[in-house]
Amino acid sequence: MNILVTLKQVANPDISPSHIQLDPAGKRIVSPFGIPPVMNGYDANALEEALRLREKHGGKVTALGLGDDTSRESLKCAIAMGADTAILINDPDLLNADSAGVGRALAAAIRKIDDFDLILCGRQASDTDGGQVLHWIAETLDLPAVSPIVRIEAVDGRHLTVHRLIEDGYQRLRVELPALLGVSSEINEPRFPTMRGTMAAGRAMIPGWKASDLGLQPFTPKVELRQLQIQLRTSKADLIEGNSAAEQGAALANKLHDLGLI
Amino acid sequence: MAGVLVFGDTVGGELTPVSLEVATAGAGLADALGESLLGALIGDDLAVATREFRGGFSSLYLVEDKHYRPYTAQAYLNAAQKVIEACSPSVVLFAHTLGTREWVPRLAAHLDTGLVMDCTVLAAEGKDLVVTKPVYGGGILGEFVVRGGPRMATVRSAVFDPSSAAVATEVVRLDVPVPAPGRVTFVDEATVAAAGGLKLKDAKIIVSGGRGLGGKDNWHFIEETAAALGAAVGCSRPVVDSGWVPSSHQVGLSGTCVTPDLYIAVGISGAVQHLAGISAAKTVIAINMDREADIFTRANYGVVGDFREVLPAFVERIKQLRS
Ligand SMILES: Cc1cc2nc3c(=O)[nH]c(=O)nc-3n(C[C@H](O)[C@H](O)[C@H](O)COP(=O)(O)OP(=O)(O)OC[C@H]3O[C@@H](n4cnc5c(N)ncnc54)[C@H](O)[C@@H]3O)c2cc1C
Repeated sequence: MNILVTLKQVANPDISPSHIQLDPAGKRIVSPFGIPPVMNGYDANALEEALRLREKHGGKVTALGLGDDTSRESLKCAIAMGADTAILINDPDLLNADSAGVGRALAAAIRKIDDFDLILCGRQASDTDGGQVLHWIAETLDLPAVSPIVRIEAVDGRHLTVHRLIEDGYQRLRVELPALLGVSSEINEPRFPTMRGTMAAGRAMIPGWKASDLGLQPFTPKVELRQLQIQLRTSKADLIEGNSAAEQGAALANKLHDLGLI
Repeated sequence: MAGVLVFGDTVGGELTPVSLEVATAGAGLADALGESLLGALIGDDLAVATREFRGGFSSLYLVEDKHYRPYTAQAYLNAAQKVIEACSPSVVLFAHTLGTREWVPRLAAHLDTGLVMDCTVLAAEGKDLVVTKPVYGGGILGEFVVRGGPRMATVRSAVFDPSSAAVATEVVRLDVPVPAPGRVTFVDEATVAAAGGLKLKDAKIIVSGGRGLGGKDNWHFIEETAAALGAAVGCSRPVVDSGWVPSSHQVGLSGTCVTPDLYIAVGISGAVQHLAGISAAKTVIAINMDREADIFTRANYGVVGDFREVLPAFVERIKQLRS
């Protein structure tokens, strides 16, 4: 089974709001000095799942990213984890594209690669929290898309049985290949790069494709970002004191009782 | 194209509370745009939901058929498209749910129009739809202009007050043939019963545990505290990812947005993605060993200490106070 994984490089989502920085225009999140950007977490889950499927069923795994030159780092990391090849779409004209523009560019690249049974995407990116790109890819390529997936239970011939998250459990769906799945973090724990993988990543050539390589027409964005604004929290909880942790626990119960909360 | 169309959300035929919140958001926009407000429901067995879907809609569109239960993206997408064709709205709003996160972006792509999901503010500027959506887990607010026709948005739960306007005077039934199951077919559904039968969404009190619990073996501390308070059990994402409890307990951006009167966070650091789910909680209590943990910037009251010592004493005192 040949699998394509879409990878986005994002500012580390663990940076607290007091340390996040924006560019002067207030339109982009900038990674603070010393905290390098990372592979989007859900995309790492998607990659891990692709590697596991390859281990069981053979085939190859291709990582596909869209971003500036620094995004090569995440694609190298994907190779270090075990991906066979990686491709970057790095056209400056696409860096400010909305979900529709990014989805179409990725779809065009996937058409150009033209050799896949399954596309795995993270359910959303942790910087924009958008959750749309995967569906624009699926629509453009006329593929079935299911999200968020917490388990791939079985592969039989041209069908997958997957678990899709619902409010109070999951539904099992049978999906015909080729298909696109949006992956959630419950599905697996991504592996670390291996030494051999890291060496392969060092040697790997990651081609950079432009919009013109993909035959993309200029597009009018459907959604325009006006500005970003950091939300700072300054308030501080009233601390319940006591001579021991146990005393604090009892004091907390008294406090809640006094407040009429319990 | 004119009119603001609001899709209600139903689960098993029952209208969910967020539907009335989206109705409020829609009414505000319809007012600002000077356009009519329309409602729509897709599902099975909608008689009760139809009577409960308040919003002051001039018309309520119904697509009702047993094939809409269980939910599948393809069927909902198809039905919604027919409703949109029938009333050509300029703006369409949806509740932000696990279902709409799947089929609404596909609908936007299909209609080739603009969509922003998980919005907390919606405004009209002239004929433009301008929305605010928390990004980066909630640490940053993004303001977006949505274009296209119709312009679409999903609305975060627990942000708008539920509508108490009248129910629709006119109900328009659309007969939409359900598409033959295509390349995705439903097999079955497994639901996980909530601990103590209490669902996070409806809970007045929630006791929530995080990675700080240290392991599944310690989870009984959370369950015992919840039982003593008659509370629902919540958790942070690492707890779900480690398999200590099922996904349905997760509070936060990629879990549930909760609205309790009292939220007790134990061993939870207070990452923005977690806080995104408790912005509507009235009183938040944090129990955490680390005085510098971000959860203390959201909590009203806090205890700096080890939960293994704090919670047993807390539970014992609760039991005394309650007897
Ligand atoms: C796209 C995206 C979506 C996400 N969605 C969600 C979501 O919906 N919900 C969510 O919760 N997270 C979500 N996260 C994850 C989030 O970023 C944090 O990683 C997560 O919330 C941290 O969980 P935690 O607070 O339990 O763990 P940690 O951050 O590890 O915190 C553990 C805390 O326990 C305390 N502690 C340790 N031992 C003790 C003790 N003995 N007694 C008392 N306190 C102790 C520590 O001081 C620490 O503060 C998301 C992340 C991303 C990138």
